[in-house]
Amino acid sequence: MEVSRLPISASQRGKLVSAGYSSLSSLSSISPSHLATELKISENEALEILKAASHGCRLDSFEGSHAIVNGAQTAWEMLQDEDMLTRITTSCTDLDNILGGGISCKEVTEIGGVPGIGKTQLGYLFAILDFCINLELLLLLRGNRNYRIQLAVNVQIPADYGGLGGKAIYIDTEGSFMVERAMQIAEACIKDMLEYDGLLRKDSQTRHLKMQPKELLGNIFYFRICSYTEQIAMINFLEKFVSEHRDVKVVIIDSITLHFRQDFDDMALRTRVLSGMALKLMKLAKTFSLAVVLLNQVTTKYSEGSFHLSLALGDSWSHACTNRVILYWNGNERYAYIDKSPSLRSASAPYSVTAKGIRSLASNSKRIKMM
Amino acid sequence: MLAHFFKGQQASLLKTGYSNAISNELRFFFGSVEDLLIHDLYVLVALAEQQSNSERLKQGITQVLSIIDGQHQPWLNGMDLLEDAQQNKHLLSTGCERIDFLLQGGLREGHLTELVGPSSSGKTQVCLQVASNVAKEYSGSVVFFDTGNSFSPKRIEQILGQLSDHSDIEVKLLFVASSFYVYHSYVRYHVCPCNPFLKPPFNILQSNKLLEQVMNNIVCHPVFDIFTLLDVLHQLESKLRSQGGSKVRLLIVDSISSLITPILGGSGAQGHALMISAGFLLKELAHRHNLSAVVTNHMVGGEGGTLKPALGESWKSMPHVRLHLFRDSKSSICNMSILRHPYIVSSFAHMIL
Repeated sequence: MEVSRLPISASQRGKLVSAGYSSLSSLSSISPSHLATELKISENEALEILKAASHGCRLDSFEGSHAIVNGAQTAWEMLQDEDMLTRITTSCTDLDNILGGGISCKEVTEIGGVPGIGKTQLGYLFAILDFCINLELLLLLRGNRNYRIQLAVNVQIPADYGGLGGKAIYIDTEGSFMVERAMQIAEACIKDMLEYDGLLRKDSQTRHLKMQPKELLGNIFYFRICSYTEQIAMINFLEKFVSEHRDVKVVIIDSITLHFRQDFDDMALRTRVLSGMALKLMKLAKTFSLAVVLLNQVTTKYSEGSFHLSLALGDSWSHACTNRVILYWNGNERYAYIDKSPSLRSASAPYSVTAKGIRSLASNSKRIKMM
Repeated sequence: MLAHFFKGQQASLLKTGYSNAISNELRFFFGSVEDLLIHDLYVLVALAEQQSNSERLKQGITQVLSIIDGQHQPWLNGMDLLEDAQQNKHLLSTGCERIDFLLQGGLREGHLTELVGPSSSGKTQVCLQVASNVAKEYSGSVVFFDTGNSFSPKRIEQILGQLSDHSDIEVKLLFVASSFYVYHSYVRYHVCPCNPFLKPPFNILQSNKLLEQVMNNIVCHPVFDIFTLLDVLHQLESKLRSQGGSKVRLLIVDSISSLITPILGGSGAQGHALMISAGFLLKELAHRHNLSAVVTNHMVGGEGGTLKPALGESWKSMPHVRLHLFRDSKSSICNMSILRHPYIVSSFAHMIL
């Protein structure tokens, strides 16, 4: 039955069907007032139904292109597009390598790890990096916190320096965004850029880097979220916000988990809400070509006779992201491991969290392990 | 509804000259075609006779019923079905010898195949692999509906470069009866390691032209809610019906469960109804247009901590073939076993018992 595909409420659909309207074309030549009297609903409701139906009809009758499905792209076109796409660097060469060049725009990447491993740092990193140059995934690596902040910084690296020159949205649910730390990383970022400038453009003295750390911080939109209702509302609002701020290139949510790990009795409801949220973020990433980075906490899980660490929110959430990176300690060193990705192979790489943010491990760069 | 019904049949009815009048009178009388169908014919006639315009009403009823009768599908006998199966329902090779061996040739056109497995068990990789192979070997179109931004053209490029490069894994046939599933047979395969920094090993697809041609056979559409999915499936249906041109051989929805989970459960059966109609639409497409439909599904925690396929019992009966994927921990070796298959199951049934 065709009306079953209209995005209208179940009771309205029931009324339509019992009044005999089962196909879209049966709704095409009818007036709202007529429908309203026949279905015993308000005229506004009837108007909504007819709008939905005529939208559906338009989709069906759309002609002209010989594409099999309207709005679809061929793999070849997508490959060309992907080559044009810039990735957001993590400032850690090893990490960039296993990530295929950095955090991918158009995709949702989830990063999880134990407290203190550098998640937030990475977040700062991306936010500032967007604007700066190959800043490091500084924050990422040091603890969750470090990770996130780095991201927020890195996203701002100007295009001249291999960055995106974009802005960052930082959604903080845990209250762990430290502006002092972000400032540190932004300063380091600008220093790096100046160095880079000095190396590559010795002759061109005219060129001055006018960027100030404060400017970098000014390009981070910060939202503090205190409950899961606020979080849901925020994510619904993001689409509107981003369409008004097209230069936003990264959305960092630190962390996606906190409010959903408590306050929820009905686990089935939680699963529904979370998976709906994941789809909205996917859509955002795709529509606006921006990177979505979700930070997650870890939990212990019992399987095969032993406890081991895994990311929070359970099995159904583990499907929600395009990529998944797990940060862990190996002895005294921090490692990042690609747990899941459609295009990257499993691999792990060490990183360190320094005062400047996330950087490669000083000693050697041969530690990347491809699985 | 009746008015529309008559509109659709205008050609035949206009000749008779009273279609509008009749449709209006019948409409006043019954409201909908469904009302007409669920009532007993004698009751209808008796009802009509009480009206002043009984003759015309009776005429109208007969006419509507004959139109409805004309709309049923023709019947087929076993021979017709066999012929249809042999001529139109081919097996599509997946491009991986071991999986083809397990499935006795590959994915059948006309079937809805479900890949179910935990996160990072290789579901998307199998989808990309099959898509690449069908686009290349059969020059058929592949339609990919992507809900998780996980369609990776880079990966397709790599797979196309490596397609002939499978070797060295033995296929094991195991017959294990567990309390949940019966593993009829069982296959292990590699998710071929890839390094995005290396150019795909060049062999078959030496020329860029060929690569372009093959990759143009694969179209991808992002889908982020169930209504969009239903819309694009309907669109695809009407496109396929109206044009015989490019032949679509394979339709992939990766993953259907992420579209359905947000609406399933809770109060009201609407989510359930949408899930079922999406399933039926996929099966209808597969059957009518001789294409192989592949969907992926998640695993969720069941009772006692064991994993089970998501979407519940009523979805379980939807796919023709259900394949379970799992991965040896932290290695690139994946396993596939058959949970449900219309004919491979029965051929092994006696061995399980």
